[in-house]
Amino acid sequence: MKRTPLYDFHAAHGKLVEFAGYEMPIWYSSISEEHLAVRNRAGIFDVSHMGRVVVSGADATPFMERLLPTSSSSQPVGKSFYTLLLNSSGGIIDDIIVIKRQEDYLLVVNAANRAKDIEHIKNIAGHFAVDIRDITDDTTMIAIQGPEAIQALQPLTSANLPEVKRFTHTQSQVGKSVCTMTRTGYTGEDGFEIILHDSGIRDSSAASSVWSALATRAAPCGLGARDSLRIEAGLPLYGADIDETTNPIEAELSWVLSKGKTGYVGDDSITIFKTTPPQRLRRGIIMDDKIPRRGFIITDLSGRQIGETTSGTFSPLLRKGLAIGYISAPDSQVGGTVQVVVRGSPSGGKIVKMPFYDDAAYGWKRTR
Amino acid sequence: MTESHSFPVDLLYTKEHEWTRIEGFTAQVGITEYAAKTLNDVVYVSLPSIGAKLKQLGTFGTIESIKAVSELYSPLSGTVRKVNSELLTHPELVNKSPYGEGWIIEIEISNLAAEKPALLDHSQYSAFVASIGKQ
Repeated sequence: MKRTPLYDFHAAHGKLVEFAGYEMPIWYSSISEEHLAVRNRAGIFDVSHMGRVVVSGADATPFMERLLPTSSSSQPVGKSFYTLLLNSSGGIIDDIIVIKRQEDYLLVVNAANRAKDIEHIKNIAGHFAVDIRDITDDTTMIAIQGPEAIQALQPLTSANLPEVKRFTHTQSQVGKSVCTMTRTGYTGEDGFEIILHDSGIRDSSAASSVWSALATRAAPCGLGARDSLRIEAGLPLYGADIDETTNPIEAELSWVLSKGKTGYVGDDSITIFKTTPPQRLRRGIIMDDKIPRRGFIITDLSGRQIGETTSGTFSPLLRKGLAIGYISAPDSQVGGTVQVVVRGSPSGGKIVKMPFYDDAAYGWKRTR
Repeated sequence: MTESHSFPVDLLYTKEHEWTRIEGFTAQVGITEYAAKTLNDVVYVSLPSIGAKLKQLGTFGTIESIKAVSELYSPLSGTVRKVNSELLTHPELVNKSPYGEGWIIEIEISNLAAEKPALLDHSQYSAFVASIGKQ
């Protein structure tokens, strides 16, 4: 089993589980407490298990244009954007963050998809003059998230954090470590994801000292809170809510498809998906009282099956069960009443827009 | 994480991580501290109806944490006489006090002598938990 550079902390303070081949903390104290620390203050996550791949070379930008449905050339250096790797049928190979730096593109991919993604990227690379380098094991990645994330992180870095806007990044340092800091995350909250370039699995000392310094200012959070936070925010999880059998339109991710863009892997299929009404759509369901889990049947009030859940949790913030799932398009209207079959008993719920929380009160768009 | 658990000596246990406190013909039932810690935050407990007949090691409800759902198994056969309805509004009592305020049901038992050998005492249960930790 693989370990991240911060394994010693997790083993000493957390409950460990296997995730994508890594021994990772599922929680340190309690999923609820960690979850609410992120919604109300700040939390830190070891996300070093995620894959980090650098694409560089003379053809880097034309290659990215071939690889991605999102235009890379129109993005200024400094942008960090969410996009998808698609197969030739328009199915989703992975959802990724692309960090467009001065000299190269740094791709952050899902841990479980790292090998598959690199193989796909190399296949597409073909005749392009690009260098593809997996830097996962040589780096450490820490996310700090929450309304107080900026305040917690600022004393440790020379970067002027408020100047780094949402979905942009800066090259800077944290403590003594050279890093790429991107104002993104997977919780719905404001914050940064920090890639430390001088500390990996072979030399974890710099990463450990950054983590320790952050841990005095923000709550260490495990994968349990990471999952409940991303569900509340309505963010899809690869392998659960999206995979190679889902397309970006039905997954409600069509906003990543740059308008008018052609010539990328999967574009013929995407054109067809765009011009055909989708059969099913990804939706959020808030339950009256029961807790939905992945793989539960969704029915209308007469008991007719209209879909299936792909993620479910109890929301520590809303104190309700939440599900993400696919519902047949004619039945998928927001505000509609549905039932989710919880271990044999049909239980009431309502289709709502995501994020599930009030985005004026929580999340990075909060206004109060 | 260094885990420490407490398993009171006056209780009997199942390999499904329930405990029972037997007093005469009444057996109080809950889940062990180990189970409560493993589930982490208990957020929902479904309770049986009063009068429901339970079989030894048959299921009588479910307990849910933020991430997962587990079945509850009755340590002994009997009839449900009381349920802890506090858990409907305060399921976290299972975490806070698994052997006290976090009790789940009380059953009237009838066949203790025949069924008791299937249960573990505190030392057998703590050895069982230690063996899970080593897997």
